[in-house]
Amino acid sequence: MTIKILAVIFIGFAGGLAVGTGFVAFLVVLGVIPRLTQLTKTTKRIRAYEWSAIAGAVAGGWMSLRHTVLYMSKYWLIPLGLLQGVFIGMLAAALTEVLNVWPILAKRVGVADKIVILLMAIAFGKIVGSLFHWIYFTDYLR
Amino acid sequence: MEKTVFVKLRHRVQVKPRAVVVIGDVAQITANDSNIAEQLKAVPLYRIQPSDKNIVIIDVMKVIRAMMEKDDALDVQVIGPAQTIIEVVDQKRRFSSAYFLLVWMLLFVGSAMAIMNFHEDVSMQEVHQHLYEMITGKKNDKPLLLQIPYSLGLGIGMILFFNHVFRKRINEEPSPLEVEMFNYQQSLDQYVILYENKESMGKIDDD
Repeated sequence: MTIKILAVIFIGFAGGLAVGTGFVAFLVVLGVIPRLTQLTKTTKRIRAYEWSAIAGAVAGGWMSLRHTVLYMSKYWLIPLGLLQGVFIGMLAAALTEVLNVWPILAKRVGVADKIVILLMAIAFGKIVGSLFHWIYFTDYLR
Repeated sequence: MEKTVFVKLRHRVQVKPRAVVVIGDVAQITANDSNIAEQLKAVPLYRIQPSDKNIVIIDVMKVIRAMMEKDDALDVQVIGPAQTIIEVVDQKRRFSSAYFLLVWMLLFVGSAMAIMNFHEDVSMQEVHQHLYEMITGKKNDKPLLLQIPYSLGLGIGMILFFNHVFRKRINEEPSPLEVEMFNYQQSLDQYVILYENKESMGKIDDD
């Protein structure tokens, strides 16, 4: 019995370690945190940002696995949703950058000076696609 | 007194098709005798042929040779890059706005579809329903209160990452996009310097 418990603890710990390192590697490759510190000129606080990412991952993991319920006002969801969106938007932007989409597009199409407008196309496309998905598309899936 | 001439090639120059490239186009020249410098700047180097397509590399040796032919008593001192990339720019090459609109729509629709597929792929609807229940303790099949701010945030995040809107206010550093474009251009330049420059490769085979 003890061995079983120890084995389960070990497996859970190992799984968590693997996912955690993967998560950090993902964040590092995309470079979202350095970008944020560069924007806000808070490079000195980068340690605090590391801890906030770790704390967020742990809190999210705990809450989703334990089904914590907070019984708060539903209006808390507005800032939560906004922050979540900004984070994923930055991840998506960083991803297009890793894939080198922009320089190649600008070269091929020959619109290096109008690239901002094309950037807006992607940003608005994301907003509209996302809104469409939540408001109409999810009803169709049912 | 020796006639020393300092030559520094420019990195990248744009010319019109069929133009004659003179030394002054591709290089900065300084000499103790400014007369010599002016004369050297007018020395023709190369005439752009239609067969050159749009990139020609001028090697520094070609420039030195042309200078020596003009005056073989020169002491030529080269500073900086060893070759110039000449880009032949066709004047009439303007993209139409219909073409631009097409690309715009392509990106718009493409990214809209991509984000929908992403949401389905990670079952975000369920995660959002779950989150709604976690925060409020009530069930809601369509937690739009969470999802609409989320959607707006997506766009804000992308724009923030590329720092285009608040460019002047937040800081003057180049955005990642500009750095990326620069790196890409740098790699392209390096490639053409090596592969379009006939003088930098000695081949054994016969082609």
